[in-house]
Amino acid sequence: MSDYNHPPPLPSASLPFSPGQPAARPPADDPADQQPIAGFVETVESLLRQPRRLMHQLRQPGRGHAISALLFMAILCALVYGLVVGTFSGGTQLWAAPVKTVVGLFFAAAICLPSLYIFACLGGSQVRLIEVAGLLAGLLALLTVLLVGFAPVAWVFSQSTKSEVAMGALHLGFFLVATCFGLRFLLSGFTRLNTRPAGLSVWTLIFVLVLLQMTTALRPLVGTADTLLPGSKEKKFFLTHWSECLRQPAPEGRQALQR
Amino acid sequence: MNRLASTLDAQEFPALLRAEPAAMRRWIEQNRRDRWILCLGTIVLGAGLYGAVMGWWRHPLQALFTGIKFPLVILITTLGNSLLNAMLAPLLGLNVTLRQSLMVILMTFTIAAALLGAFSPLALFAVWNTPPLTATTGLASPEYGFLQLTHVAFIAVAGVLGNVCLAPLLRQWSGSAAVARNVLMAWLAANLLLGSQICWLLRPFIWDPARPVEFLGPEYFRGSFYETVFDAARRLLSS
Repeated sequence: MSDYNHPPPLPSASLPFSPGQPAARPPADDPADQQPIAGFVETVESLLRQPRRLMHQLRQPGRGHAISALLFMAILCALVYGLVVGTFSGGTQLWAAPVKTVVGLFFAAAICLPSLYIFACLGGSQVRLIEVAGLLAGLLALLTVLLVGFAPVAWVFSQSTKSEVAMGALHLGFFLVATCFGLRFLLSGFTRLNTRPAGLSVWTLIFVLVLLQMTTALRPLVGTADTLLPGSKEKKFFLTHWSECLRQPAPEGRQALQR
Repeated sequence: MNRLASTLDAQEFPALLRAEPAAMRRWIEQNRRDRWILCLGTIVLGAGLYGAVMGWWRHPLQALFTGIKFPLVILITTLGNSLLNAMLAPLLGLNVTLRQSLMVILMTFTIAAALLGAFSPLALFAVWNTPPLTATTGLASPEYGFLQLTHVAFIAVAGVLGNVCLAPLLRQWSGSAAVARNVLMAWLAANLLLGSQICWLLRPFIWDPARPVEFLGPEYFRGSFYETVFDAARRLLSS
């Protein structure tokens, strides 16, 4: 975890790649971390390579711009990944899946934000709500950027399989990996703010459970149905829904393969 | 080719095969087209040669097709995962650019392809010693099983060695054995995930008793490798 908090410096023209030397760990007030971030690409770069620079921006007076950039990035990347999810079924899902992906992620973050802030305060932190919101926006942005990295792999699978269960499991796996990295960003952000919310593990569990429930509440994300969203009589817990999906007979393609 | 040879130091390629961190560092630091061409050429040649041996058991035409498809698997996997690999490395503590991560992975596949090329006479010897394909040969025939296992063993050895060669470089680069291990494992997992599926889509590599010799059939775009493995395991457990 500490390796993530202090990544080696970014190889650049002024600071060439030097494998012969151990990566130097810049001090907490490294001037490089205080450089302002401008533009979409630089925000993505900072998110992946210089998270402390981004966290510094989130504590500055002009943090609104940084948060907006992160949220914009999260929306854009979620739309791209949602489109890949939609290519499995095509048709209506080409627009429905991207919209549902964005709505699901942002709704989950919105309903989890108050509890994260309260947990932070209970931990004795002086952190402000806007700072917590900024970290959560960073989590969403990192999660969705990573999903875009997974998108080519997901697309290859979505074009070759007919199994909704297999595709669902694959997307779920990608979501969980991306969420782990997003949560690491959140944790290192709180460490940077010299605080650790009481019950952060509990909040993490709640956030993951909410995200998983979103996959059922907004179904179908993979595959098709008569309606865009389940009716009031079709409400289910995600574990129930998944076990029902697993019990469904194999699709024609898979049955053929089994033969 | 002469021009390429003149711009490349004659010792560079053997140094790459020895996985000397200093040589690999030079390859990554300096963005030189001749090195990219050398990597791509080695993959096409080494993996292509091995692929041709794989297909030879069935038919010369199958050898040609597999010789084309096998390097394609490597190149599609490398390109398909390039964005993901470049994202995972900095998140795990190793700051690399997209170009650098692409070059590193291409180098590992170059080493693996060179090994495969070197293994191809041995594989050809195995093919030559295998009873030829007849009308009675089936998917359950021992000769087919023997060939499958032989190829899997050669490819696995080449793949593992290619990736293991990367470890010293990553260790030096990151300054941490843990970071190097995590990055290597993440890249391996991503390449394995996509590579297996690409292999599945581009099959057959050796032989399909139900089809004539062909480059790709429409039915090969159905299903996924993992689904089939999962179904097979489920059938095995339920029987």
